[in-house]
Amino acid sequence: MQWLYLYFPNLQLDSLLHQQAYNQACVLVDKNEVVQTNSEARQLGIKIGTGLGQAALLSAQLKVIAYEPKQEQRLLAQLAQRLYQTSATLYLDPPQGLLLQTSDMLRLYEGLAPYWQQLQQPLMERGLHYHYASAHSPLAAQVLARAGNDRLLTHQGEATGLLHQLPIHSAGLNYKLCLQLERLGLNTLGQAQALPRSALGQRLGQTLVTYLQQLEDSSAPSRPRYQPPEHFRQRLELLYEIEHSTALRFPLKRLLSDLEAFLAPRQLQAAGLILGLEYREHTSERVYIGCSDGEYRAESWLGLSMLRLEQLQLQAPIIAISLKTKGQMPWAPLSAQLFEPLGGKLTAGQLISRLQNKLGDHAVQQVYLRDDHRPERSFYQGAPQSSYQAHQATTYLRPSLLFTLPQALNHKPDQQWCILSGPERIQSGWWDNVSICRDYFIARNPTGQVCWLFRTPREEWFLHGYFS
Amino acid sequence: MALLQLEKERLVWRARQLTGPDHRRQSSFYPTLDAHLQGGWPQTGLVELAYGSAGIGELRLLFPLLAQAESRLQVWINPPAELNGQALAQHGIDLSQTLLIRCQNPQQALWSAEQSLNSGCCSHLILWAPGLTAPQAKRLQVSAKGNQALMFWLHPQAEPSTSALPISARLSLAPLATGLRLKIHKYQGQWPQSFCQVDMHELWPSLAIPTHLPTHHGPAPSSNIAALPFKPR
Repeated sequence: MQWLYLYFPNLQLDSLLHQQAYNQACVLVDKNEVVQTNSEARQLGIKIGTGLGQAALLSAQLKVIAYEPKQEQRLLAQLAQRLYQTSATLYLDPPQGLLLQTSDMLRLYEGLAPYWQQLQQPLMERGLHYHYASAHSPLAAQVLARAGNDRLLTHQGEATGLLHQLPIHSAGLNYKLCLQLERLGLNTLGQAQALPRSALGQRLGQTLVTYLQQLEDSSAPSRPRYQPPEHFRQRLELLYEIEHSTALRFPLKRLLSDLEAFLAPRQLQAAGLILGLEYREHTSERVYIGCSDGEYRAESWLGLSMLRLEQLQLQAPIIAISLKTKGQMPWAPLSAQLFEPLGGKLTAGQLISRLQNKLGDHAVQQVYLRDDHRPERSFYQGAPQSSYQAHQATTYLRPSLLFTLPQALNHKPDQQWCILSGPERIQSGWWDNVSICRDYFIARNPTGQVCWLFRTPREEWFLHGYFS
Repeated sequence: MALLQLEKERLVWRARQLTGPDHRRQSSFYPTLDAHLQGGWPQTGLVELAYGSAGIGELRLLFPLLAQAESRLQVWINPPAELNGQALAQHGIDLSQTLLIRCQNPQQALWSAEQSLNSGCCSHLILWAPGLTAPQAKRLQVSAKGNQALMFWLHPQAEPSTSALPISARLSLAPLATGLRLKIHKYQGQWPQSFCQVDMHELWPSLAIPTHLPTHHGPAPSSNIAALPFKPR
């Protein structure tokens, strides 16, 4: 079996810097020690392992960011998710490595070079620095990649040859073991491999023997291989704090293009997205962006999201955003009419989603009927639904405009009013404590408005609607 | 030259334009109105209706048209009270194609109207708004024309806006005993006309003042009122 190992020494820093062009020295620091540097910082002489104090002396404008293993692990999983489209069998090797089994995929891609080209593309898009090596065993590939080998080796002989010449200290062994080996005069891996295993085991412990065995063992690692998640969920740390919701456009665009890359190959679409906004010193907020028809394209989602975000007042500067899908469903292309004369730019569902995202869910409604004699309860307004259940309307004439709260009339209708019909007594609702007892009249007032009036048993008169 | 200039500014029209695509009509289902409007409502465009006070029959004027539903949306924006689904259904309007939008401010209402028209999936749009500026009216008119939609703009003033808005028609409504009296202030493709009486008695007999009804058809209207059990003060 052939294995390919990808090693990302600057995973967190590269991902952070990729969002925005930042051309100042920048380092990630863990426990007062520099762990990742960008090229500007390296030019100033800041190396991995430099103390924070020394680094600060080397550059006054140094940007220092805390190293977060959790975030790096998340980034690695995101990367695996993307690479899974190219390569079927892959293993996470946290914190900074990915192991890919290549032998099965070569048949599909017809050779190592086209396959490697496919793999490189997402890495370049993300602006990641990486080292790679292919070899006959997982450990050999890992050791060669971490040593910065950057070569694709197809023959086992080449890989073993390189491993033989590899200095002991870059073989990925722990520091104590390296020291012991060097004291024995073993400076390259090949020298250690040449010695009898049992003797080595007695002198230096079983770890080394296992290591040497694994270098030659081409079988798959015992840990489970990577399984892509069923639902899209991604988080993006921002290099700068964002204070205006419109400035979220660019980081959001990146998340949405990842979403598209997630949904499209699976033939899925999302009915809604939940955008998480993480504030500095403030509890994070969730924003729901809906599209009832379902959508997978990043461009459409971006338009909908921006409508929603324009309405949003940020409570504090944003330091990170996250995105997850709500309601994934199989992608069903909307059937467009072949001889559509009307342009048909949007479907009704898309229009409704757009309106809802801008105006809020409650602002866009449909009217539904209900069997109730009480006029104000005989219909209700609710969220638009794709399947509308028709309902029989009442046969009594009802006004087209109805007041939510009936308006009290100062005095009862006098001679100038013309009663057109009535009374129609509606007495109902005694079972749910909203009982009414009203005598309804259709009357025309002196202005010419056709009104719907009612009289209560206490002889109070109310205007309830207009026959517009 | 001067005539060309006038034509460019759309201040004059030629009789042959009447047959153009801009002047197709759809029936309003009121014979008198159809006769006055040379066939009815415009097929597309923006129509202003100044109705004075609510409840005189401004929506009943539109219901026969709206009941001829096609499979596109009918959007209602900012009605002055709740839109009674029972009444709409009674008048034959397809509630599954009815969308109700309530906006906080006029800007949003205009935005919603434009979006709905531009989506191409809206056949009729009824907007209640206090006033439109000329650029706003122009945009809505263009959107409606370009997307095969007819938009009605209703406002409770007695007279239509005085400024010459670039829209298809401007009408003002006044109540009559049996229907409405329409004043046609502007109608693209024809001269302004004085008045037109729309008789709604046929469609809504119970909402018209039964003055011309023969008395032997039932109890006299006066007796109807007298029969009401009002308590004397």
